[in-house]
Amino acid sequence: MAKTITVGSLESSDCMITLKEGTGNVHIESVVAAAFYDHIETLVRRVLKTHEVRNVDLTLEDRGALDYAIEARLIAAIKRYKGDDNG
Amino acid sequence: MARSFLFIPGNVPRMLQNMDVFEADAVIIDFEDSVSASEKEDARLLTERFLTFHEVSVDVYIRINADKALMKADLNAIDSLPITGIVLPKASPDTLNVFEYLNEYKPCHVIALIETPDAFFKFEEIATHTCVKGLFLGGVDLMHALGGTMSKETLSYPRSHVLMAARAHGLYAIDTPWTTSDDDALARDAAYAASLGFDAKAAIHPNQVHPINQAFMPSVKRIEEAKRIVAMHEKHGSMRFSLDGQMIDKPVIDHAKALLEKVHTYQSGGENDV
Repeated sequence: MAKTITVGSLESSDCMITLKEGTGNVHIESVVAAAFYDHIETLVRRVLKTHEVRNVDLTLEDRGALDYAIEARLIAAIKRYKGDDNG
Repeated sequence: MARSFLFIPGNVPRMLQNMDVFEADAVIIDFEDSVSASEKEDARLLTERFLTFHEVSVDVYIRINADKALMKADLNAIDSLPITGIVLPKASPDTLNVFEYLNEYKPCHVIALIETPDAFFKFEEIATHTCVKGLFLGGVDLMHALGGTMSKETLSYPRSHVLMAARAHGLYAIDTPWTTSDDDALARDAAYAASLGFDAKAAIHPNQVHPINQAFMPSVKRIEEAKRIVAMHEKHGSMRFSLDGQMIDKPVIDHAKALLEKVHTYQSGGENDV
């Protein structure tokens, strides 16, 4: 069964990220998409590359999270996906 | 010097980003009770990322977990962050030992949470540890362990004991948080803790910060009285004199100076001396 990991929340200033086995698709829904879609996508792809994550599809539901929060939530998701979470 | 220590869950970005605006003298980013087991790593990562890339104007402490495996992961995650210190839950000589084998860990600045009956029999070992700078009464967990409920009466002995131990070892003394939403009762409880001699009180909601700051700020009347005592002492160089019919001697002069110093620190936005 394909693994699916979801982290984060849909509270203000936060985001929810889902990772599942896939081909590298990135889907972003954001309350600030009109202004920041490209910025968020660049950030997400950079973090995935840094952590050498390839065969996943990513969905990000953003509620106005700043870069640090998106990055932290994504790293947490990657660690959990890889089974590398310190609990 | 802080009057209020506000707990902020480490896994809530909205709270982390606003830590500056709550007017607390210090914040405690929590990795322990307010963070579920599945969110521990998220809290570490959010806190690490936030404090690495955002400057804050408030003293920041982090409450790590008491469980040793989680504690080690917490300390490794915050190793290089610009924080004032650590709040150590369920402080005991055993939990303090964790710092011995984490040599790279800085800063050596721990506020020990006194919240188990056992801690009351080991104050000497806890309070004399080189990293311990303050004692913090955790009334909720203590009362749970004792099988009692929180009240002014049931907290009387724990408060006195924690305060005595803190003063005996030159440590900061922080009173237990108030856990109901009754603001008037909080104000009374904070004023009572201040009158006992506590330096500060913990808050578990931003709305509690203002009443706590008010309670721990000396009144205008006390400040004016202290100014007159110090002025009279400096004018005459005397350590013993009469003012408004009251005999003033060295302890009273020292107390007046300490009070003015405390007020100056509060008004200047605090310093990292706890």
